[in-house]
Amino acid sequence: MNEFDLARERALRARGSVVDMAASPTGCHLGGSLSVLDILVAAHSVAQARPGVEVVLSKGHAAAGLYAVLHHMGVIEDDPAPLYGRAGAPYTGHPSPKVPGVRFPTGSLGHGLAYAAGWALSRRLLGEPGGAIAVVGDGELQEGLVWETLQIVQAKRIGGLTVVVDVNGGQNDGYVADISPLTDLPARLAAFGFEVFEADGHDIEKLCALLPPEDRPKAVLASTVKGKGVPATEGKTGSHYVKISPARARQWKAVLR
Amino acid sequence: MSLCGREAYKAELTALADGDPRIICLEADLGGPSHPFAERHPGRFLNLGIAEAAAVDMAVGLASAGLRPFLSTFAAFGTWRAAESVKLGLGYQGAPVVLVCPYGGVSGGWFGPTHHSLEDLAVAQSLPGVRIAVPCGEEETRAVIRTAAADDRPCYVRLARNEPFDAPFPPAGRGEVGWVHGPAGPTCLVSVGEKPAALCAAATEQRPELSHAHLCWVDAESLATAAAELAGSARRIVVVEEHRAAGGVASTLALMLPRHEVLGVNAGPSWPSEGGGHDDVLAALGLTVAAVLDAASAHAPTVIGLAGPRAGRATPVSSKASPGALHPSTTT
Repeated sequence: MNEFDLARERALRARGSVVDMAASPTGCHLGGSLSVLDILVAAHSVAQARPGVEVVLSKGHAAAGLYAVLHHMGVIEDDPAPLYGRAGAPYTGHPSPKVPGVRFPTGSLGHGLAYAAGWALSRRLLGEPGGAIAVVGDGELQEGLVWETLQIVQAKRIGGLTVVVDVNGGQNDGYVADISPLTDLPARLAAFGFEVFEADGHDIEKLCALLPPEDRPKAVLASTVKGKGVPATEGKTGSHYVKISPARARQWKAVLR
Repeated sequence: MSLCGREAYKAELTALADGDPRIICLEADLGGPSHPFAERHPGRFLNLGIAEAAAVDMAVGLASAGLRPFLSTFAAFGTWRAAESVKLGLGYQGAPVVLVCPYGGVSGGWFGPTHHSLEDLAVAQSLPGVRIAVPCGEEETRAVIRTAAADDRPCYVRLARNEPFDAPFPPAGRGEVGWVHGPAGPTCLVSVGEKPAALCAAATEQRPELSHAHLCWVDAESLATAAAELAGSARRIVVVEEHRAAGGVASTLALMLPRHEVLGVNAGPSWPSEGGGHDDVLAALGLTVAAVLDAASAHAPTVIGLAGPRAGRATPVSSKASPGALHPSTTT
């Protein structure tokens, strides 16, 4: 088993944990957690191999996916699934720095990207290695704060920043294309000085090659499937927030892919 | 001639950065084309442009890496345009970012209500753990910047515009009451900021039996200490501040001192949209010596309300407030 086989196996186990969190009393943001999951596995694999690289999940509503990945990658020791949303546990519906492996609280959209840009800038000012991988949602790009930040990144020539867009096509109320389409996104990001790549957001090996921060800022448009890995939810905007029974969770985990 | 607060800030931070490589100076296009920090430490100065919310967030990112960012923009934009970033970064995360904001109150004068800031202290005061300073004059501004740089705490520093202020009192530190006149007698004027200090000084010239205490640090943690000293020195406390009643220093003190009569002479409810300088707009708001003396008199208005019919009128912000309604914060 090579490192990518191991990463894929971790991703599969993490999907099972996300389904478990959907079966919690609170339910969870299932669709976006499953769409971003392979990106998070790749990003944290990159960060674990390089000093000073920070991963910021700017689309913080995918917290269940983040907790699952951090657990199966050894950062969170105990299984967070039984504690998700529970009183006395740090596993809130949007991540906070109380969770191991989380530096910045996210969930109010747009802020995570700006924190990541600040972290990337700190590497330059401190003369230290590393950078930041910011994982944003495609719906999140509707926030003005995102574009303020990209403007600063370009104007101040801030390198060491990789922005990964989880292009799952969905947002809370429906499809991104129906609500606020992202016209010519690659060209828009390129105009902000980013080197733009388009990739399969579920190809961990490919993502691991693209995500390491470099001198020039990079944007990776990662095409994903909302609800990926659970046949009953794949591609359905209704999977944005899901609460299921334990019996349904067992059914879904039996057919994970 | 002393420096105005804005220039004192720049000069002090530039000097402090000589000995502290963690200090980073950030501007949002309102620091002026010639900045002494940029000239002395060009590698640690960034004008991030007109993007206040992103600037605060990026400062939080820098602080998380161990740097000490000072970010300056006008008070209206630093607190309200970037309000959520300030809440999440300086409040929730407790990031040691220092937000230094000139154009506090109506020091922007003829620039109008878009550039006035009569509500900024309410934003900062609502965030537990954020330290708040409203220094008067060059010496106190420099002292505030030194304190902010020495402590790893989030800070909001409110400054005025370009007018120098020769403070006739020494700097007041955290928790300290700066006695300008007195203590003597049952009524104490408490000034917050340069113009209110001048109003209170003029009032005590006319009525020497009044005390005048100046406060610089006005977050709940610092005020808790100051409040104890004020409580032991006067029965009636008249807070004069260039701010709305809601979220101002008077309202905070009133909750801390439920057994004292705490009155507020403040900016009232209006939006002063005519021209004129700082003093003209203050007069339009009713923030005058007469209003201060009226509040200090034994027959102050007894109508309780946050939006009185006449701006600047004394409003008893609390006479029977719940003692538990506001505890001084001691956490980050």
